[in-house]
Amino acid sequence: MSRKAGPFHILVINPGSTSTKIALYRDLEPVFDKAIRHSTQDLSPFERIADQLEFRFALIQECLDRNPDFRGEIHAVVGRGGLLSPIEGGVYEVTDAMLLDLREARYGQHASNLGGILAHRLAQQLKVKAYIVDPVVVDEMEPVARISGIPEIRRISIFHALNQKSVARQAAEELGKPYAELNLIVVHLGGGISVGVHKRGRVVDVNNALNGEGPFSPERSGGLPAGQLVDLCFSGRFTHSQMLRKLTGAGGMVAYLGTQDMLEVKGRISSGDAFAAQIYDAMVYQIAKEIGSGSTVLEGDVDAIVLTGGLAQDERLIGDLKRRVQWITRILVYPGEKEMMALARGCLSVLMGQEPPRKYEDYRKE
Amino acid sequence: MYRILVINPGSTSTKAAYYRDSDPVWTELLSYPSERLAAFPAILSQFDMRRNDLLKLLDEKQVKVSGLDVIVARGGAFKPLQGGVYRVSVACLDDVRNGRVQADHISNIGVMLADALAGEHSIPAYFVDPVSVDELADMARLTGLPEIRRISLVHALNIRAVGRKAAALLGSAMDDLDLVIAHLGGGISVCAMKQGRMLDVTNANEEAPFSPERAGTLPSGQLVRMCFSGKFAQADIKRKLTREGGLLAHLGTSDLRAVEQRIGAGDAQARTVFEAMAFQIGKTMASMAAMLCRLPDAAVLTGGGAKCELLVSAIRKHIDFMGPVLVFPGENEMEALALGALRVLRGEEREREYPA
Repeated sequence: MSRKAGPFHILVINPGSTSTKIALYRDLEPVFDKAIRHSTQDLSPFERIADQLEFRFALIQECLDRNPDFRGEIHAVVGRGGLLSPIEGGVYEVTDAMLLDLREARYGQHASNLGGILAHRLAQQLKVKAYIVDPVVVDEMEPVARISGIPEIRRISIFHALNQKSVARQAAEELGKPYAELNLIVVHLGGGISVGVHKRGRVVDVNNALNGEGPFSPERSGGLPAGQLVDLCFSGRFTHSQMLRKLTGAGGMVAYLGTQDMLEVKGRISSGDAFAAQIYDAMVYQIAKEIGSGSTVLEGDVDAIVLTGGLAQDERLIGDLKRRVQWITRILVYPGEKEMMALARGCLSVLMGQEPPRKYEDYRKE
Repeated sequence: MYRILVINPGSTSTKAAYYRDSDPVWTELLSYPSERLAAFPAILSQFDMRRNDLLKLLDEKQVKVSGLDVIVARGGAFKPLQGGVYRVSVACLDDVRNGRVQADHISNIGVMLADALAGEHSIPAYFVDPVSVDELADMARLTGLPEIRRISLVHALNIRAVGRKAAALLGSAMDDLDLVIAHLGGGISVCAMKQGRMLDVTNANEEAPFSPERAGTLPSGQLVRMCFSGKFAQADIKRKLTREGGLLAHLGTSDLRAVEQRIGAGDAQARTVFEAMAFQIGKTMASMAAMLCRLPDAAVLTGGGAKCELLVSAIRKHIDFMGPVLVFPGENEMEALALGALRVLRGEEREREYPA
């Protein structure tokens, strides 16, 4: 594959549950960046996520028309990947098979499903190609990691793949070695927390942060003692959806303290709230345990622990975590979650010919 | 020299042993076929039968209770307690008789049997490191839901006994060491022991690695969906977690030797499941180093599963980097109980008082 020189202009589309983010990158330089907020009322008329397509598309179109930044040449459009079949990590061209799975929500409803669809639509207008990068369904788990304690339940790889893969590459640059030659434990610290074990470029084990595995987080329960969880389900006190909500959205820190805002919790701790301190300590401890687990998956051969996500901006949290896991290896911190940059970076590597785009049909599992 | 009677009631037997200091003189098993036990509605109602059989055994063995220095029994699922050697007290007996225990288990009557035998003879009765030993650090008690707290019910007797053995081997005292200990039985518990205290333990009934018979921690979301699927009763799922999970559920047997044979014969499914169990055990052991904030002085494997060399080597692959790996195969409850009592008799350890 021939290497191509830039600069390349990349349109980045990232639909979330309450916003649509639009950016224009010139190589890795953001030229334009905007988030269009959607209120609950805006979105309430739409029964399914796919029904929001025209609404969001019109807003994007309006934004593009209004801003002179978009009048020059655009070389590709990249969208946030949605719920698809489990696939290997990488950059995927948006194809008909992918569009079908996204439109029909074959693997679940999520705002990010619109990413590929919107990118495709915009790319058609611009007569360029559309891509997605490392969707949450990236699945590179080893067979032993898939097995749970009962055959009815298999462990599933769903995690913050986009940010994890992106900061892993960033760490590789800092360490001066290719990503495919490094062993890393990447920890995404956000509303949910995922700890991914990257073994020579593949995420061979990761806790399912969406489905109740691993540490509890600001708004998720993480793994729970199984027997007590079963008793709670059968207690008659909660419906199925209430229980699922406890795992994702209403579990973890928010269940104890009524807030998922780390700044507020830290404020309470500094003003002497012992209970808040106890919850915070427990969360840090559970994250550290998950990182510790990751070290055995790599049999102790860990080049770096990489901390990222919004909570990685919190110096106290980073310090407390370091104290518990620095016996493993060096620790790198990349605070924040730069999804737009990660999408642009993935797309750019394809445009530059550094990485061939993958075809969903070749990797999709039936 | 001290004469020690050890009593260990199990679900289908009572084990009794007679020690002179740390030397076992005899060990006997009084068996109770399940047909015979079926006649007893409650566990406590087996007390008279078990006491009488023990007295008969002592007669046969020509052991006079008055000649004993101590009677020591296995402890039960009592209230949460610090690890150690406890004198059987009125408060403890009251709790057992009135059901103030964490589980209705036959081991609860050990203290009643010891007390009854000691009886009129003013011989001290003890129990050692019951399953309800709870030394959890506060941060280890919480889960991601306020409705669920982690509970310390653990193979404490064997874990603390091998902690001492590991310390002896390392030329140190348990209270000066940081250890990670995995008890590999039908259920598996893993413990972070910091300077003798069990600051975190996985509850073998519902947490962490799957084991020959138990499911361990499961992805919560999928487990919730199973509970609400309408396909299973609560008891069915609970049985999958504690008695019909793990190797048994995947492979139809919980016998490690049988699994080893199948692997030897080229059974790929058996190999993957077996390796997955070792993988989860390794992960749980390393997670415990987060409590220690350092690599442990030793990683210790014990329990019946530690007799399986294939399992030990599969776990070692994952934990060798953690430091020296010490293996104490099997589980010698009788010895652990006798040695606990002996430490108190010799004044090496203070007896603890069961809190009222």
